Amino acid sequence: MSTNLIPDDRRSLTVRLSVVQYLVAAIFVVLAVGFWIFQIAQHEKFREMAENNQLRRLPLPAPRGVLLDRNGKVLVENQDTLNIAIVREQTKSVGDVLHVLAAATGADEAQLRDTVNRRRREPSYRPIVLIENATQEQYIAAWARRLELPGIIVEEVPARRYPAQEMAAHLFGYVGEVTIAQLQRPDYDGVEPGTIVGQAGVELAYNKMLMGSDGAKTVVVNSVGREIKQLDMQLPTTGRPLQLTIDEDLQKATEDGFTAAGFNGAAVVLDPSNGEVLAFTSRPAYDPNAFAAGIKPAAWNALNADALKPLQNRALQGRYSPGSTFKMAVALAGLEEGIITPDFKVHCAGSATFYGRPFACWAKKKGGHGTIDLRHAIEQSCDVYFYTVANMLGIDKINKWATLLGLGVKSNIDLPNELTGLVPSSKWKLETKHEKWYAGETISVGIGQGQVSVTPVSMAVYMATLANGGTRVTPHLLKAVSDGVGWKPIDPPAPQSRVTIDPDKLQAIRDGLWMVVNAAGTGGTARIQGHDVSGKTGSAQVISNQGRVAAQRAGKGGDLRDNGWFVFFAPRDNPTIAGVVFLEHGIHGGNAARVAHHILATYFAKLDAKPLPPPPTHEDLHLDYSDPYAKGGPVGSGGGH
Amino acid sequence: MFERRLYFHVDWLLLGAVLLLAVFGVAMIYSTTYVIAPTGDHMGKEVMPQVYALVIGLVALLVFLAIDYRLLAEYSLLIFGLLLLLLVFVLFKGQTQMGAQRWIPIGPFHLQPSEFGRIAVALVLAMYFGENRRGAKNPGDLIIGGVLCLVPLLLIAKQPDLGTAVTLLPVFVGVAFLAGLRLRLLGIIAIACLPLGLFGYKFALKDYQRQRIQTFLDPEQDPRGAGYQTIQARITVGSGGLTGKGFRKGTQGQLKYLPVAHNDFIFSVLAEEQGFVGVLGALGLYLFVILRSLEAARLAKDRLGSYLVGGIISGFAFQVIYNVTMSAGLAPVKGITLPLMSYGGSSLIASLAGFGLVLNVRMRRFTN
Repeated sequence: MSTNLIPDDRRSLTVRLSVVQYLVAAIFVVLAVGFWIFQIAQHEKFREMAENNQLRRLPLPAPRGVLLDRNGKVLVENQDTLNIAIVREQTKSVGDVLHVLAAATGADEAQLRDTVNRRRREPSYRPIVLIENATQEQYIAAWARRLELPGIIVEEVPARRYPAQEMAAHLFGYVGEVTIAQLQRPDYDGVEPGTIVGQAGVELAYNKMLMGSDGAKTVVVNSVGREIKQLDMQLPTTGRPLQLTIDEDLQKATEDGFTAAGFNGAAVVLDPSNGEVLAFTSRPAYDPNAFAAGIKPAAWNALNADALKPLQNRALQGRYSPGSTFKMAVALAGLEEGIITPDFKVHCAGSATFYGRPFACWAKKKGGHGTIDLRHAIEQSCDVYFYTVANMLGIDKINKWATLLGLGVKSNIDLPNELTGLVPSSKWKLETKHEKWYAGETISVGIGQGQVSVTPVSMAVYMATLANGGTRVTPHLLKAVSDGVGWKPIDPPAPQSRVTIDPDKLQAIRDGLWMVVNAAGTGGTARIQGHDVSGKTGSAQVISNQGRVAAQRAGKGGDLRDNGWFVFFAPRDNPTIAGVVFLEHGIHGGNAARVAHHILATYFAKLDAKPLPPPPTHEDLHLDYSDPYAKGGPVGSGGGH
Repeated sequence: MFERRLYFHVDWLLLGAVLLLAVFGVAMIYSTTYVIAPTGDHMGKEVMPQVYALVIGLVALLVFLAIDYRLLAEYSLLIFGLLLLLLVFVLFKGQTQMGAQRWIPIGPFHLQPSEFGRIAVALVLAMYFGENRRGAKNPGDLIIGGVLCLVPLLLIAKQPDLGTAVTLLPVFVGVAFLAGLRLRLLGIIAIACLPLGLFGYKFALKDYQRQRIQTFLDPEQDPRGAGYQTIQARITVGSGGLTGKGFRKGTQGQLKYLPVAHNDFIFSVLAEEQGFVGVLGALGLYLFVILRSLEAARLAKDRLGSYLVGGIISGFAFQVIYNVTMSAGLAPVKGITLPLMSYGGSSLIASLAGFGLVLNVRMRRFTN
């Protein structure tokens, strides 16, 4: 059946086979050239692409430096938390994955999308954290559905932990993802997007030291992004531990005092010799732990919308009338300017008339203080005495001495966003209001009302300056820095100013302050047996009497009760502690003195190596809730004691 | 059946080259499927089946060498019918893997009948044109030959396995060409196929198939999706350089950037690990095998033998050229294996059996 090839056929076949042979050979040559182009001519390009395929540089976040108190107790530390992140290159549909993840973990899908969108320009192998500080439930939910969640990874990262929660929240501040605005600033050079940095308080002020430097590891990953092996690892350098000047016990006493009192406000306690801040609080506070691993927008909005402004650092940013606590500045100005002597006497009949207008003393109802000298005027907080001295001094001399004592100027504490108070002067009025200062305006300033406003921290400096005899120390929080080997003490910052005060004249004021607490004065509630506490109360109106009447008529709510101040130093001779307690709407300075009492009692118990007093209860404080306005109506333009 | 003197006419060089390629294939499969695991590195599960297939393939080669091809041609219609039966069986009872129904499980093995299509079609076409005095000059014969090729082609395409189906076409063209098909006619067929192809592209192709062609033309439009393989194939080949990254050192294949590297992209892995030198070596061997086989066609005693070898080797050459082109990311990704080297038992066995026939024809050039 098979047909042998005849010569004719064979010739044709040979030709055709040759055609095929040459064709195949030609194609093979073309193929070889093609491979030559890829493998030899463009080898470098493809070699790089292959490396990019498999090598991944992953950041290893550095734990922030811990914060310790002056005795080495840990105030702020780190703990590992779980972050749920997405590696976009490992997933084909980011949208689907986010949808499933949101459903599994209860996270807000729109917000997840937003997070990814915000960082879409980053390399797709870099994880984008979607859920910071994931709960165990979220972690389990994500793990259970991992097959539907390609590209979702769980990272263990160090996160900030504030064990004492709201304690000293404004002092520590909080951390958060570096903002776009920050990234554009030169001092944030080398900070990668997504890095956690300090955003307030000490965390912000000392961010550079606390941050450390992130490490990185280079790993080989396979096509689905699984890590095959590690090539190279730079360990992260932990941020430097900082020792703060804060005394945890005193801080806690301050917080306990406020908690028991139930008022908002601020307190700053200093070492008057060098400006070390021993305690610092602002109430209401927030829990910085909520920020540590990314604050939820709802929580952030709630904090911002809160009428009580928990994010405001009242100690640095709240500006309030100092009331009677301002009287020592007037007294010192009078003495140093040679206007008065400690024996200068004024007769207080409950009110006095200046420039045709009556100015009442808070003791008007009991008929005034009678004839009174400087020491007793401070002790009794006699308004008429200080109206008189202020009138004799004039606004500019008051301004000069108040400024030297630290009022109306920044304390330059090492915390961000401090605001300046105001002690008016004729120059100030001319510059800002283009009007001349009227002598009549000085009278109210004499008792810390009118245009005067101060921040609590400046009040602490004021008392420290009176305590140390004229050195306006710079309050500061950093005591020592660890360089990894040992602690390096940080020198206290230079004082803001120094003035020589005649010791005798200063002593007269100090005597008055001692009498406030230990004689028949208004601050007896701060008295501590065996220790000479000196201090001064102040109650300052938050609204004028006429304004209050109008507000009441209009039925407008809001807390219009007076603010309560207590400023102090102790002991009377060679003071080692000075500070301020400010109660917002605390009604009476005496109430602030009760809070200060617990702080001072704790301080002295510690000094005497005695057991610390237990946190007071609300009842322990015996607060005075009697509203002077509710009882006897307006008591003149001054008020305060 | 096997005369002693035939032994001296076996083309040992061709056989050696074929076996060398198959062994290279096993080595590359070993390299690319090697498992690196925390619990201990070990050989991939694909290696041993390939070795078994190589042994079975050698047996098949011996069988197809030993039986006179003229005897086989006598039974070619029977063999062809058997193939069609198997293909129909696969369509209804076959095992489905990765969306295609291609396999018949036989014990631990999975037979892929479509791989044997080329041999059956080559036999039946060689037989048809070889017996026919007029060769392939007559359009009527050409149509009958075309139908013989198209029936299994459509059955395979239906699985769907377009890649394997298409490999039947060069078998037909090869036999027809050697049988005297006029080049003008070939051109007419090609032109006629163009609108047919466009029609097919629009209506007959499945979405993923259309997408493959589109993304081949512009792989960057979907670098994560369908264009991924084309891009990765180029990276794999290009990163190999002159001498390659070394055995088991290829990152693209080892880290699975190139999917199913041991199968359709085995040549990419070879290019990556053995470099341009390895590529030239392998291409040289394949070229040698093809040219040497065409030589066998030239030496064949009869038209049947000549056409048979021509058909088999046309399919083989087409597969090699297409797969190598695809391996470098220069052709759309199709499921066309690299004969002798790609992973896949049926493919290897069928290829070796095919070379059994080539050797058979050459060996019997002096016999009657």
